[in-house]
Amino acid sequence: MEKETSTFSLSEKFNEIANYVKEKYGANIWFVELLGRRHSYVAGHREDSFLPPEIIYLNDRFAVVSNEWEKIPEKEGIVELLKIVIKEAKQ
Amino acid sequence: MTAVLTKKEKTWMDMVIREEEITRYMENGKDFINDDEIWEKLKKNSNPDPKRIREILQKSLSIQTLEPDETAALLNVQDTELWQEIFDVAGKVKKKVYDNRIVTFAPLYCGNLCVNNCLYCGFRRDNHVIKRRVLTLDEVRQEAEVLAGEIGHKRLIVVYGEHPATGPEYIRDTIQTIYEVKVPTKRGYGQIRRVNVNAAPMSIDDLKMLKEVGIGTYQVFQETYHHETYAKLHPKGTLKHHYQWRLYCHHRALEAGVDDVALGALFGLYDWRFEVMGLLYHARDLEKHFGIGPHTISFPRLEPAANTPFIQQTKYKVSDEDFKKLIAVIRLSVPYTGMILTAREPAHIRRDIISSGMITQTDASTKIGIGAYSDRYTEQELERQQFEIGDTRSLDEVIRELAEMGYITSFCTAGYRCGRTGDRIMTLLRTGKEAVFCKLNAVLTFREWLDDYASEETKIAGEKVINKELEELKERVSEKVYNKLLEYYRRIQNGERDLYF
Repeated sequence: MEKETSTFSLSEKFNEIANYVKEKYGANIWFVELLGRRHSYVAGHREDSFLPPEIIYLNDRFAVVSNEWEKIPEKEGIVELLKIVIKEAKQ
Repeated sequence: MTAVLTKKEKTWMDMVIREEEITRYMENGKDFINDDEIWEKLKKNSNPDPKRIREILQKSLSIQTLEPDETAALLNVQDTELWQEIFDVAGKVKKKVYDNRIVTFAPLYCGNLCVNNCLYCGFRRDNHVIKRRVLTLDEVRQEAEVLAGEIGHKRLIVVYGEHPATGPEYIRDTIQTIYEVKVPTKRGYGQIRRVNVNAAPMSIDDLKMLKEVGIGTYQVFQETYHHETYAKLHPKGTLKHHYQWRLYCHHRALEAGVDDVALGALFGLYDWRFEVMGLLYHARDLEKHFGIGPHTISFPRLEPAANTPFIQQTKYKVSDEDFKKLIAVIRLSVPYTGMILTAREPAHIRRDIISSGMITQTDASTKIGIGAYSDRYTEQELERQQFEIGDTRSLDEVIRELAEMGYITSFCTAGYRCGRTGDRIMTLLRTGKEAVFCKLNAVLTFREWLDDYASEETKIAGEKVINKELEELKERVSEKVYNKLLEYYRRIQNGERDLYF
């Protein structure tokens, strides 16, 4: 478990990236902290399009969720960027 | 007969309460329940103008938390016809926020050892007639296997006495044990997908520990919000005597990152109107500090318990008529919250309240004796129970009745597994969007349950409801969402499990 990662500072970064995605592709994404079976909201959009959520695990602590991934052609790049952001936040 | 505390119990008790985790939330050294102010508001708002009441009802319908004066006005309504309007709007509020579904769950009592001595509680320390027991983790697993494998529950509220033998570490281990259970069923498999916890107030560190293992909702009832009554009913020298340690435990949970908390009052300890006001003040203070209100509110009434004469003696017993009123006023005062009506109440009361449309959650196949599910006892044994329950019907029977009343039973636990928690769920609830998720996931989880556990009779009644819900959803959601629903529905019919929106 990467307990040294600050959820607070990360949530600001997460929000920045979520806003970028929304602005560029009109898609909602949000971030969750993984706690056993519980995936708790930490940052990102609060709107929803009612489709099933697809969860992409970023590490053993955080995941990014959206039900509009198909709108985001840069999906893989965004996920890689998020992984880097988390790694940097740990350092 | 007085039970003497052991040295271990005393040492443990000395370490539980942390004053700095109370005072940090208080303003000018005072908590947010001002008894005099509540009584003043109840008096000031007597004989409310019906026009004002209707304006308040409109505010509730827009899913805004009421002001204390507004709740006090509702509580003062005398006119029977106006009360009927209140009940009707309360039903509409529930439908707007949660749609037509009722979520079911079961309580699982893990232990009845307790260091407290609450006058109204069957499990109080001095009650020598109670058979004391704490389940081993293996026994907890056996209980969960019956609940998930035979009855079909997906959601539990796990209950613990306040005692070193059932402290936070034990609670953590039981949560993990329950989540590990996976039992084959007729067409798929059964498992508990959400473990809610009803336990004593804890420190922020302990709550963080429970957060790590995926606690569902952390539920603590204040019992009574009236300071003087609280002090009388929870004797000095017990942990529970500390009013503010209990009052602020949800604040600590939210600070610890447990972003689903549940409130409740035990009706029958003090004036019911005062308690409703207390619940409102509590919800408002959570909103003020964290932007997150209670996930649910419970309103249990006192029920008989073994060797507990206080229950027969209290002068604050709530009549059935007032019970319905208090539920409606809570529904309207905190319109986004879930509301739990339990099997404490007899079947005819549950039928009446549920048919009014105000309730979001209920339990069934309920057993509250320690180890009762795996023991399979059929008669209630009061010396094993905290109180006597009023409705012992099976989940199958209750679901069939709900279906015949037009309600769909939901086993949905999707929200807290995909980030619909905390202030995100608050936004979805207040905008009525969560109702769509409720409806979609109710159809899918009800299909699962009908295929895995239902009697033929219940299956027929349930399928009628599902067909009605599918028709409504076709009109309500986009074609894309509806097609996805049908795809998931068919996959579930073919044996896949746990597909959700």
